[in-house]
Amino acid sequence: MKKILQDSIKGIIPPLVAILLAFLLGGLLMKIAGINPIVAYTSLFKGAFGSNHRIAETIVRAIPLIILALGISIAFKARIWNIGGDGQFTVGAIFAVFVALTFPLPNAILLPLTFIAAFIGGACWGGIAGFVKAKFNANEVITTLMLNYIAFYLLEWLVKGPMMDSNGHGFPQSELINEGLRLPVLLQGTRLHLGLLVAVVLVIGVYMFWRSTLGFKTEIVGQNREVAQYSGIKVNKIIVITMFISAGLAGLAGWNEMFGVHYRLLENISGGYGNLAIVVALLADLNPLGIVVSGFFFAALVTGGNTMQRMEGVPFALVDVIQGLAIIFVISRVVYRRWRDNGARTNNDNGILGKLVSRSGKNERTNSPASNR
Amino acid sequence: MSVPILLPAIGEIFTQRSGILNLGLEGVILMGALGGFVGTYYSGSLWVGVMLAVAFGMLFSVIMAVLSVTIRANQVIAGLALTILGAGLSTFLFRIIFGIKKLPPSIEPFQAIKIPVLSEIPILGPVLFQHNILVYLTFVLVIVSAIVLEKTTFGLKVRAVGEHPQAADSKGINVYLIRYICVIIGGAFAGLGGAFLSIGYMNTFLDQMSAGRGFIAVAVVIFARWNPYRALGGAFVFGLASALQLRLQAVGVPIPHQFLLALPYILTILVLISVSKKAEFPKAFTLPYNRGER
Repeated sequence: MKKILQDSIKGIIPPLVAILLAFLLGGLLMKIAGINPIVAYTSLFKGAFGSNHRIAETIVRAIPLIILALGISIAFKARIWNIGGDGQFTVGAIFAVFVALTFPLPNAILLPLTFIAAFIGGACWGGIAGFVKAKFNANEVITTLMLNYIAFYLLEWLVKGPMMDSNGHGFPQSELINEGLRLPVLLQGTRLHLGLLVAVVLVIGVYMFWRSTLGFKTEIVGQNREVAQYSGIKVNKIIVITMFISAGLAGLAGWNEMFGVHYRLLENISGGYGNLAIVVALLADLNPLGIVVSGFFFAALVTGGNTMQRMEGVPFALVDVIQGLAIIFVISRVVYRRWRDNGARTNNDNGILGKLVSRSGKNERTNSPASNR
Repeated sequence: MSVPILLPAIGEIFTQRSGILNLGLEGVILMGALGGFVGTYYSGSLWVGVMLAVAFGMLFSVIMAVLSVTIRANQVIAGLALTILGAGLSTFLFRIIFGIKKLPPSIEPFQAIKIPVLSEIPILGPVLFQHNILVYLTFVLVIVSAIVLEKTTFGLKVRAVGEHPQAADSKGINVYLIRYICVIIGGAFAGLGGAFLSIGYMNTFLDQMSAGRGFIAVAVVIFARWNPYRALGGAFVFGLASALQLRLQAVGVPIPHQFLLALPYILTILVLISVSKKAEFPKAFTLPYNRGER
C-alpha cells in the first residue's frame, strides 16, 4: 500500500510541474499583452470553484471529459492515435437520441437501449478508422480527424433536416427526449446529474480492463508490435477491437451529455471536448485514476476560462494555449531525466546508469509509431 | 483552393523526407494566417504580411524541431500539442490585438491577375491563369522544391538523413542540423499557406480557419509519395472538390450542402485508403536519431 502511494506521488510530479510551467508561461503571455495575470487567474479560479453552483458546473463538464479521456487512453496505450473523440461523441449522441425518439418502449427498457446505441454509434464511427488502419494502414490520426469533420456536418444536417424539431421555431435542434429518460439531477438547483455515477463505474471498468487478458494484449501491442506478433497476438484484430472500445466510450460520453444535460440534439454538441480529452489523458499518463484528477482539473480550467473571458475580458483561447503548453512540457520531461542521469554519471562513475540511459533511448525507438508501417 | 493545402504539403515533403512527421501543420498554418493578417494590417503592405507569415511559421515550427529532434519526443503527440497550441495562441493573440467583441477587421487581399492571352483560353484559361500572385508563386515553389530535393547536394543530404541517419552521420552530414532545417522549411511553407488563407483567399483572420487543411496536407504528401509534382496533382483534386462544392451549391443540386462540405474530408479518407498500403515511407521515418547510440 505504501509503495502504491509513493508511486502515485512520484507519478503526479511531472504533470504538476508541466501544468505549473504552462500557467507561468501563460501568465507571462498575459503580462506582455498588458493583462494582470493574477487578476485573470483569480477570476478563473473563482469561476471554477467560487460557489457550490460553480463546483457542480465544473463536475458537469468533467463527466464527459473523463469518459472521453478513458476511451482515448485505451487507444493511446496501444499506440493507436485516436484523435476522433469529437466525432465518436457526436455519433454516439445521435444514435442514442434517435433511439430515444423513435421507439415507443417503456423507459426501463428504452434507457439501457439508448446506452447501448450510443456505444455502438461511437464504436462504429471509430471502428471505420480502426478497420482502415488494420486493413490498409491508413494513418488513424488523419482518418479520425476527418471523421470528426464528417460527423460535425452529419449532425448539422440532421438537426436542420430529418431530425429537426417541427415545433422548434426553426432552431437547429431535435425534439426533447421524454422526461422519464432524463438522468435525475443529484443536487437541487444545479445541473449535476446521475451521469457522475456512470462515469465512476466506467473508471472502475477501465481500471479492470487493464487487468484483463485483453487489456494486457492491448498493452503489449502498444509496447512493441513485432513482439506482440511473435507471441501470437493478432495485432490487427487488437487494433480494431481497441479502436472499437475506445470509440464506444466516446459514444457513451455523448450519451451522458445528451441524457444528463441537453436532453436533445443540438449543433456542435461535442464542442471541442475531444481535443481537451487528449490533453487530459496524456497528463494522466493514460492512468484511469489519474484521468479523474486531470479531467476534473481541465474541466475547471474550461469553466473558469469562460468566467475569465466574461469578467476580465481575457480571451478564452488562453485555456487552449495552456493545454498545448502543458503537453509540450509533459513530453519534454525526458530532458530533465537525461540531464539528471548525466549528472549522476559524472558524479559516480558506475556504468549501470549509463546502460539505463541508452536502454531507455532504444525503447523510444522501438516504441515509435513507425513500427506500424 | 488547392494552394492552402499544396503549400503546407510541399513543406511537409521536406520535413518527412528528412524523417520527421510534423502533424502540427494545422497549428503552423493558423500562426501563419495570423502573421499574414497582422503584418498586412499594420504595414498596409501585403508583402510585409507574407513575410511575417513565413517568419511566424518558421518560428513556431522551431518548437516541433526541438521536440522531435533534440528531445526525441513522440512526434504524433508533439504534433497534436502544436496543433492545440497554434489554434489557441493564434486566436488569443488576435483577440488581444483586435479586441474580443468587435467586428473582425479586414484588409484588401491580393487581387487576381489575368495573364494576357493565356487567360483567354476557354475552360483552362480561367482555371489556370486568373489567380492572385501567391498562386503563381506556389507553382514556382513546387518546381524549385522538386529541383532542390532531386538535383542538389542539400536534397541528397535530406534524403540520406531520412533513409539512413547513421550512414549519413558517418559521411559527415549533421543529421540534427538537416532535420532542423527541414522542419523549419516545412514551417515556412505552412506559414505561407496560412497567409494565403487570411490575405489571399479571404480578407481577415478567423478562428480555426485552416479547417483541417494541415491534416489533409499530410494525406496529400503520402498520396504524392513525397514528390512535389504529384503533390500538385493531389492538392488539385482537393481544390476541385472544394470548387465543385461551391458550384453545385450555386446551381442548387438537391444534395444537402452539409454533405458537399464534408466531401473533402471523405475524399481524404478514400485517398489514404487507396495509397497507404503501397506507400514507401522514408526508412527512418518518425525515428528520432541519437548520435550516442549504435
